[in-house]
Amino acid sequence: MRAPRKIAAALAAAGLLASLPAQARAEEAADPHAHHHQMMMSMKRATRSTADYALPAIDLVRDDGKTVSLPAELDDGKPVVLNFIFTTCTTICPMMTQVFARLQERLGPERDRVHMVSISIDPEQDTPARLAAYARKFHAGPQWRYYTGSTEASVAAQRAFDVYRGDKMDHTPVTFLRAAPGRRWVRIDGFASADELAEALHELVAAR
Amino acid sequence: MPAAAIGRGGAGRPGPSPGARAGWALALLAALLPPAAAAGAPPVSAGAGERLYRLGLLPSGRPLRGEREGGAGVDGPDAACATCHRRSGLGSWEGQTVIPPIIGRYLFRPGARNVEDVNLPHVQGYVPHREPYTDASLARAIREGRDREGRRLGILMPRYRLDAATMASLIAYLKRLTVGPVPGVTSDTLHFATVVTPDADPVARRGMLDVLEQFFADKNGGYRGESPPLRSPRGVMYRVNRKWQLHVWVLSGPPETWERQLLDRLAREPVFAVVSGIGGATWAPVHRFCEHAAVPCLLPNVDLPVVAEQDFYPIYFSKGVLLEAQLVARQLQAGGPALRRVVQVFRKGDVGEGAARALQAQLAATGLEGVARAVGSGPAGPALAAALAGTGAGDAVVLWLRPGDLKALPAPPPGSAVYLSGLMGKLEEAPLPAAWRGIARMTYPFDLPEQRRVRMNFPLGWFSVQHIPVVDERVQTDTYLACVILSETLGHMLDSFVRDYLVERVEAMLSHRLVNGYYPRLGLAPGQRFASKGGYVVHFAQPTGARLLPDTGWVAP
Repeated sequence: MRAPRKIAAALAAAGLLASLPAQARAEEAADPHAHHHQMMMSMKRATRSTADYALPAIDLVRDDGKTVSLPAELDDGKPVVLNFIFTTCTTICPMMTQVFARLQERLGPERDRVHMVSISIDPEQDTPARLAAYARKFHAGPQWRYYTGSTEASVAAQRAFDVYRGDKMDHTPVTFLRAAPGRRWVRIDGFASADELAEALHELVAAR
Repeated sequence: MPAAAIGRGGAGRPGPSPGARAGWALALLAALLPPAAAAGAPPVSAGAGERLYRLGLLPSGRPLRGEREGGAGVDGPDAACATCHRRSGLGSWEGQTVIPPIIGRYLFRPGARNVEDVNLPHVQGYVPHREPYTDASLARAIREGRDREGRRLGILMPRYRLDAATMASLIAYLKRLTVGPVPGVTSDTLHFATVVTPDADPVARRGMLDVLEQFFADKNGGYRGESPPLRSPRGVMYRVNRKWQLHVWVLSGPPETWERQLLDRLAREPVFAVVSGIGGATWAPVHRFCEHAAVPCLLPNVDLPVVAEQDFYPIYFSKGVLLEAQLVARQLQAGGPALRRVVQVFRKGDVGEGAARALQAQLAATGLEGVARAVGSGPAGPALAAALAGTGAGDAVVLWLRPGDLKALPAPPPGSAVYLSGLMGKLEEAPLPAAWRGIARMTYPFDLPEQRRVRMNFPLGWFSVQHIPVVDERVQTDTYLACVILSETLGHMLDSFVRDYLVERVEAMLSHRLVNGYYPRLGLAPGQRFASKGGYVVHFAQPTGARLLPDTGWVAP
């Protein structure tokens, strides 16, 4: 009597498995690349956390060629939305940049009260002129600035935000938001949509 | 659209020849003319598929449009399949984002592991044990973003609304992309070439060939005959053992004939790639050959490379003298109000002529007056004096000269700033007369000697162990580095010997390297063809000796 019950339990379990999302299937567990696909899935679900980041006293070069201090640039009193990109990146950066482009569209006239910041993680290639051209391609408004600088400065900025992964080819999509100088940063790992960013921004500003 | 309908409809419509039997002619027509073409719609052609795949152009010539969730669409080249899946179709990865291979060989096969098919090379992102796509399920994936099992594709994959003929063209192209035997690759040997132009410096050329020949001999030292593929429980990894064979392609005659010579050599001796090589005044014909013949040309010893970063196959260490021209331009722009004129001195036909032209163009944008003077024929001393005549206070003199000319310089013009090409003048060994040493600033597109010393133990130690005489340290180090980069990249490619994939892997991997001979760092990406991007401006620390002091930090102009 026990054996058929076991079988039934196994069948039920199998049925349950079949109804689970794809990543739980045994076949995939044996797939050496299953984790990649799971990553791809998990990227859709952008995860939010908060953190305090100490901004290093480094100089960056803005897309207009002007040398600026990172802390001074971020502490201009406005809410900040920040990401790390490079202009010859073909996969995740264009997507992140498009999300920023849509965010500024969605913000409309409000956008001028926000500071959008994109810092290059390939600073030797991304000269101010190349960044300015990239900004034009995505119709960046005056509130959205791109930054480059020495390799050391770029790495220091990446380390400060805990996104440095050793090489530009290893980077992951992360967006940072902060309501005002001295407040905590909201960190969104994964691909956040423009709507999600706008919502997060409004929440932050409302709570300020 | 059924697979049988995919043919080369766009290539023309052959009519039945007079002697052909009617049935045969009808069958031919049926095979070559897709139904859509017969109905007046655009014909199906892999060529149209290729334009869509690579350039993001629809058969109508309009830009391709892809839609992503949240309304973030992509257009034209950004929407092209090759942007993410790459020219080879073998995919790519960035951080945790894996872009899978999409050539027909992977899409349309039953989901076997390569244990069951040893000829299937392993690439990142290939998922074994999956149902094969059909034309219909692939079209659905491209249009609706659902894979063969109905699951959503990755968030980065746009959805494309393609009409039936365009979709069929794209699928036809995917089926023929990256198939067939790869030239220069056999079951036991990989063939590579190196290119030597007739005007290359003979000493540097010998030094380069010593390194290449020894590297190849060393590589083959452990070869024990053709080996079975290396297996693991997960699959066939790769064939452990392949010989490397070097073909030295020595060019002759005028540069106009080089491309033809190279094509002839390639036809006689098919190679997988060109590694290193050495040039003189021009490398343009070799660059053209690489691009036209679709042969990767990795890291030659060239001081005046071709700047065409939209080209795919040639990859260089740096922009050479053109980078130096940018470094000088940057210094001159900060030169202050006292600077009124820039006088450049070069030898006609040498790489300095190209550098002087590039600097002249950059000066034009700043409003500074620029004069470029070619050194005349005859004894170097008087010829150089003539080229420098009339220079003095308020002038910046830029010397694009080789050591022989540097030695013969007359007294320096009083009160003028002096810049000198380190690449052409032999860096810290530049034989500048004492009066020039004190005032000259040198462009130095490498890491400083003291900073690279420890790194240099790798190539110098190898030269020493292999008994290779060091006759041109920089050229030999760059040659060694080119070989090591090739070797490492092939190691990571396992058995996926595809020329385009080689270039794509070098692009992706290069910036991971930490020990790079003369360079503080190297890095590439799609659309980047110069691995080292900066340099210093330096001056000699003392009246004699090779010690340098930097005037600037590392600058990437």
